[in-house]
Amino acid sequence: MEPKLITLTVNGHTHHVALKPNVTLLHALRQMGYIDVKDGCEKGDCGACAVLLNGRAVNSCLVLAWQADGAEVLTAAGLGTAEHPHPLQEAFADVGAVQCGYCTPGMLIAAKALLDRTPYPTEEQIREGISGNLCRCTGYAKIIQAIQVAAEKISPAASPAKPE
Amino acid sequence: MLPEFELLMPRTLPEALEMLAEHAPDVMPVAGGTNLIPDMRSGRYRLRWVVNVASLLELQAIRREDGWLVIGAGVTVAQVLDDPLVAQYAPVLREAAALLGNPLVRNRATVAGNLADASPAADMAPPLLALDAEVELASNQGTRRVLLRDFFLGVRRTVRQPHELVTGVRVPLPPPRSVTAFYKIGLREADAIAVASGAVRMDRDESGRCRLVRIALGSVAPTPIRACQAEAALEGRLPEPEPIAEAARLAAEATRPIDDIRGSATYRRHVTEVMVRRTLTECAARSTE
Amino acid sequence: MRKKRYTAKPLPPVELPELRLVGKPLRRVDALGKATGATVYAGDFFMPHMLHARVFRSTEPSARIRRLDVSRARALPGVACVLTAEDLPDSRLITDIPGQTGQRVRKGSEAPVLASDRVRYVGEPIALVAAETPEIAERALELIEIEYEPLPGVFDPIEAMKPGAPVVYEPDNIVARWKIRKGDVRAGMEMADLVVENTYRVPFVDHAYIEPEGGVAWVDERGVINIRVSTQVVEHFRSIARAVGVPHNKIHIIGTMLGGGFGGKEDITVEIFLALLAKHTRRPVRLVYTREESLIAHSKRHPFIITHRTGVRRDGRITAAEIEMISDAGAYPYLSPYVLLYAVVMATGPYRIPNVRVDGVTVATNNPFTSAFRGFGGPQAAFAYEQQMDEIARALDMDPLEFRRINYLRTGDQTATGQVIESAVWLEETASRALEALGEKTPDQGPVKIGWGFASYFQSYGRITWLHDTSQAWVGLELDGTVVVRSGIPELGAGQVNSLAQIAAEVLGVPLEQVTVYSTDSALTPLAGTSTATRGLYMSGNAVLQAASTVRRVLLDRASKHFEEPPDNLDLADGRVFVRGRPEESMPLAELVRMCAAEGLPLSNLALFKAPFTDPLDPENLQGRVFPDFTFGAHAVEVAVDTETGQVRVLKNVACHDVGRAINRAAVEGQIEGGSFQGLGYALLEEYVVKEGRPQSVTLSEYLIPTSMDFVPTKAIVLESGTGLGPFGAKGIGEPPLTPVAAAVANAVADAIGVRVRELPITPERVLEALKRAS
Repeated sequence: MEPKLITLTVNGHTHHVALKPNVTLLHALRQMGYIDVKDGCEKGDCGACAVLLNGRAVNSCLVLAWQADGAEVLTAAGLGTAEHPHPLQEAFADVGAVQCGYCTPGMLIAAKALLDRTPYPTEEQIREGISGNLCRCTGYAKIIQAIQVAAEKISPAASPAKPE
Repeated sequence: MLPEFELLMPRTLPEALEMLAEHAPDVMPVAGGTNLIPDMRSGRYRLRWVVNVASLLELQAIRREDGWLVIGAGVTVAQVLDDPLVAQYAPVLREAAALLGNPLVRNRATVAGNLADASPAADMAPPLLALDAEVELASNQGTRRVLLRDFFLGVRRTVRQPHELVTGVRVPLPPPRSVTAFYKIGLREADAIAVASGAVRMDRDESGRCRLVRIALGSVAPTPIRACQAEAALEGRLPEPEPIAEAARLAAEATRPIDDIRGSATYRRHVTEVMVRRTLTECAARSTE
Repeated sequence: MRKKRYTAKPLPPVELPELRLVGKPLRRVDALGKATGATVYAGDFFMPHMLHARVFRSTEPSARIRRLDVSRARALPGVACVLTAEDLPDSRLITDIPGQTGQRVRKGSEAPVLASDRVRYVGEPIALVAAETPEIAERALELIEIEYEPLPGVFDPIEAMKPGAPVVYEPDNIVARWKIRKGDVRAGMEMADLVVENTYRVPFVDHAYIEPEGGVAWVDERGVINIRVSTQVVEHFRSIARAVGVPHNKIHIIGTMLGGGFGGKEDITVEIFLALLAKHTRRPVRLVYTREESLIAHSKRHPFIITHRTGVRRDGRITAAEIEMISDAGAYPYLSPYVLLYAVVMATGPYRIPNVRVDGVTVATNNPFTSAFRGFGGPQAAFAYEQQMDEIARALDMDPLEFRRINYLRTGDQTATGQVIESAVWLEETASRALEALGEKTPDQGPVKIGWGFASYFQSYGRITWLHDTSQAWVGLELDGTVVVRSGIPELGAGQVNSLAQIAAEVLGVPLEQVTVYSTDSALTPLAGTSTATRGLYMSGNAVLQAASTVRRVLLDRASKHFEEPPDNLDLADGRVFVRGRPEESMPLAELVRMCAAEGLPLSNLALFKAPFTDPLDPENLQGRVFPDFTFGAHAVEVAVDTETGQVRVLKNVACHDVGRAINRAAVEGQIEGGSFQGLGYALLEEYVVKEGRPQSVTLSEYLIPTSMDFVPTKAIVLESGTGLGPFGAKGIGEPPLTPVAAAVANAVADAIGVRVRELPITPERVLEALKRAS
């Protein structure tokens, strides 16, 4: 169980970290200070720890850090800041999709992955896209709405929801 | 927190097979990790060695090879969902893939891992059983192919030896007029473990009779199973309500379910009959379109 | 349901004063921090030289501890401390109603902080470990040696009441009883043309907040034990001080933003363990539960068995109700007596019933302990009374809304305890609107049958009036015209903090962004009481309103001299003070603030808001006031029931509540949408399975809460009667949206298939069993 030096590029910053083989990407990221990646179940049931791993949304609790050696990781904090929020973050805040906020980082990552692939999602596609992210506060209604709002902002042209 | 283990990171398949051979039996391959990591965390597996096969290039592709669709062991469920070959030749696998876990899990979980884990509830098993799929196993001694129906031995037990690696799943390309359907009864609409699942396939001849029928069932026995008597009851006959009902009844009889936190044996058997009847009826209707 | 369409009852005329910020769906002050991942939750805080803690827990539901040996764990290199009951000055965990001064401690209500000779449930804490790394702490747990002598356990409240049943703790298993005696039930039953009797059952359920319990504690240079923790109740510092053996003023709770609570972080969780370990090691200690530990360690919602016997006349008037309620208190009482009280007080539902007899009992078992969960007995009561109302309507061959309309409480009526309701009672208004929003009924399709169902409810907001609830808040202006609010109220996620900011901004005429709220600190913010009991907005909102209004008067009095106008002619908005009707005559608020400061005028105010205070009621009849007021509303659903598989799908889903006044409309809708999803989970998915005292649902793949795919999002209809006791006429909406939902679903299922499932959750198997019984 010797540590090994691995390279992770997180939110554009490259880190070289020595990690033991039994460390999950979730714990690695949190140890590196990316505490916006939340620990909710460590079993893939809740989605609170979701990150984009080379562009794909995954539960970071189900990835061994060594498996991510050399990978690009994006966490919710990497989407934007309070000064320059990502349209998803702004929409989540504006429509009231954030209550306790604990599921929010993972939810944003799932939403980002969805919009990257499906810029004009239907409500059904949004519900499907966030179905691995449990939220106990909102009943999902405002989260779905926020993703719709952000989608229109990110890809305003040819939005089928609002014909010109 | 995960218990301690050594993680080996081979760069090629032969290297991986050597590592498995060297450390067997106290070794397990990991790809997506969606089963193995929780199982190590919960103490179900206490392993000395783990071999990472997620990044082996040899295992990444879905390809057409002679009369087969070959799904490499590194292929994720999400890739299956997106793949045009799967959509064309194994739509029932796609249907099941869409209901496996959730989008985050599907981005990591592999088809091969779902089979190798050998849960009775494995979502990939019924469609692949219905398609007469084979599992390809490799070791540093060579390669062998096993019919999927012979692959499972019991709950979480397969014919795979500790030094072997599932390298791919091979699906014979279906004949024309082959129609399939999948069902999954879970306690929740997403991210649910099947209470009962099944895949049915109906290949018909030009007269409309069932030439070949496959009824594969999940979560109703120690392993995913085929309901062979039910299949036979329909083969050679027109898929009309009466023989379909008979096949569904026989399918339910073929089950050996248990009571657990998700459902009773009685319910599993009952719902199997209902859903086999419905999916067969749906196949009959679709194949006359 | 008998009608194909329902029409909303017109609302009585309401005049609500136009406000600038209150009522608007403004972006919550905490939203962007959370959406950018900047919010530091309890488990996200680390300190130098921090130790990592774990709890050693019982694996037996009922046993004597024959031997406990922690010597090997203590000897493990890297272990800083192992504590058992022997090491504690006072191992009783006093389950007082939190945050209350002068409240009597109930005899026999003490769970031990750590079990010493006897364990009573699986998961009961026995020992604490603190070590240099989480790995070492984990290893130390494995080195703790324990021998149990299993004792007979009791796992069913009815069994537990029988003579000869194993006694969980002396003298017997009866934890508490409450009774309502109103009118003459026998006479009422004799007047009835029909008596309907049914029994309803609900299971254990879990809060399943996404953030497991956690925190960090350290002892500072003053000897103060600081605990940064996710809690709904900072006032637990008193109980912790007692258990740790230090004065009250040496415990400092720094509450974090909660990642959900719903009542599950109302009782003490990790904070007492953290305090003990920090005191013993003099080092910072972190303890965060895993999901599995969280599901085993914290309270559950009470299972109830509720029997209704209702007398009714042919014309639909209810003449008498006789109700029996039995709840499972689990292994220690915690808040069980109070949860039972709520259920008993709300047992009849919001109906005029002249003769009422309710007998409630809560019983100790060797099951997981049960305590607060959103609704606090109200949802259990509603599951029974609202199905009973549908059953009676069916027996009378009446439309269920029409039948309820005859019996609904109205303003000025008395509840079963004789409390007169003074606020608006919009029961028909909310129910008819929810039903109207269902539109046209979807047709049946083969074996899939469609049903409609609704449920009305009442749910208290604010605490029991004999607990003498108070809340303090401090509001002040900085010299640049920005506003500071200080309040001890925890931010549960529901928008507690934002509503305080929005109220202060309204009163002091500044944009919302110019208010900063400091909250949830037992020492540095004025104690405001708990984020429980739908009291946050009512209590703290009023306290902030009071404090901000006092500061406003100071400002306007000073401005009055400057503008030579009476204060009533002046107003504050957008960071300026101005003459009403002549906005050009104005000055920046900052300038006015500096004027006041230069003259030594008080630019801050500490206010204390008091709820109505009453004396405790006679537990033999419970006649009198119990709560400040109630929220009223309804939930309606359309469901599709597959009669072959038993599966139930929710096709339409509408909630309508009178919230009095929405302080932040988006937040109010959020409470309704979220609470109703918890209700749908309660109805159809959730059960914390316990077999012979052993929990079976210890992960989130066994304890199933709703995903985004399970139910159509809730349509929330918000009504504002303006008659609540909260700020600007607000009522409370934290707990209520969950309360009616399970009954509405049960009624819809019964409407679809003609038979009733009287037990939660309404699983496919239970639906099929009901169909089988009927055929």
